Amino acid sequence: MNDLAIATDNLSKHYGRKRALNRLTVEIPRGGIHAIVGSNGAGKSTLFRLLLGLAQPSSGRSQILGRDSGALTPELRGRIGFVNEEHTLPDWMRVEAVKAMQQRLYPQWREDIYREVLGNFDVHPDQRVGELSRGERAGFNLSLALAQSPELLILDEPTLGLDVIAKRAFLEALMFIGAEQGGTIIYCSHQMEEIERVADNLLIMERGQLRSMSPPDEFRARVGYWIVDLPGNRPANDEIPGLLQARRIDDQHHLMVIDAGEHLQQFLRERGARVHSRQAVSLDQAIIGYLAKNHRTPDRNAR
Amino acid sequence: MIQISTGDSRPIFRQIVDSIRLQIATGELEPGTKLPSVRGLAMQLTVNTNTVAKAYNELTAQGWLESRPGLGLFVSKPRKLFSDRERERRLNEAVQQFINQVIGLDYDPDELLQRLERDLRALDIRSARSAGNE
Repeated sequence: MNDLAIATDNLSKHYGRKRALNRLTVEIPRGGIHAIVGSNGAGKSTLFRLLLGLAQPSSGRSQILGRDSGALTPELRGRIGFVNEEHTLPDWMRVEAVKAMQQRLYPQWREDIYREVLGNFDVHPDQRVGELSRGERAGFNLSLALAQSPELLILDEPTLGLDVIAKRAFLEALMFIGAEQGGTIIYCSHQMEEIERVADNLLIMERGQLRSMSPPDEFRARVGYWIVDLPGNRPANDEIPGLLQARRIDDQHHLMVIDAGEHLQQFLRERGARVHSRQAVSLDQAIIGYLAKNHRTPDRNAR
Repeated sequence: MIQISTGDSRPIFRQIVDSIRLQIATGELEPGTKLPSVRGLAMQLTVNTNTVAKAYNELTAQGWLESRPGLGLFVSKPRKLFSDRERERRLNEAVQQFINQVIGLDYDPDELLQRLERDLRALDIRSARSAGNE
């Protein structure tokens, strides 16, 4: 058993001509809450499907809890939980019956956890799954997943469409019940506010590849917002070191940049520019700025 | 009451550090007060427990909080945070700023001093903390 929750090596997946994953190599250690962000089509859901052995890769390898995704035993599957955005459960079944079924399937079932998590949501055992609201179904689904006490819990956009109250309850259950069992949680979301609250580790994916992996605060610290006076012709975007976004507001240039301290300073000095201010940015600004930019790899920055 | 907001340019752990420091400086949190547990504050704020632990570690390293094994974290007894020289420098800076601000307001120096004295006494600053009595 190795100490990685998941590992992929040059993992690719094509759907027809579309490349969903492009030689993705990523290793996520065990423990903690890992958030994956990326624009639509970045490959997050495809990655999950491949990891769980629900789809075959076009090339490359992936492992989950130290086992090849293609060769997962029922015993190993029992140690992995998966919650998707649809919260798919049989509509016609009653809550109690779904629970009883799951309880039989998972030997390490924790009834106390099931009750504690479900207690945050207004779900009655006699209700049919089809009668539950989206938030209640999400809560029910999370209760089932956490009660299985999985070593690894994967959640694909779990809070999509939940109201603020349901979302808060969901996050609390995830952080204070899920993460404290010592398991690993990997989840993807578009909700920056959520990521800032819960994530130990932030992964940014773009076009089927991993762009960045670090604690959220470290990523945020790499990005800065500069307001400068630039005399003469405006330089082309790819001349400005580390540029993510440039806007011209009231005759001044507003530059969002990454990893750019020294180089940008020197570049601006050579241009005779004056720096008005350098500001820190919020995590959501940093992530949005990063994803909005048109692919800029570190190599191209250096040139 | 500690408040944090997401979407701020300060990381959440920094907001927690700033907020607790301010409460100690204003006396809202008195020496010897017990702080919520790491998990307790994390639940109160709906943030990751590691974030709270990081803030508490920094406050402890800076001497604002102290850990009593088995009991939890407490606001430290007042102690000196700056060297004599640094205190002197900061005081000078503050006085100069004050003078620059009020010079154009055309007050008599006696009036200014009276006003200053009244406000300082009203604050009831924990002088032990700023003067240092380690």
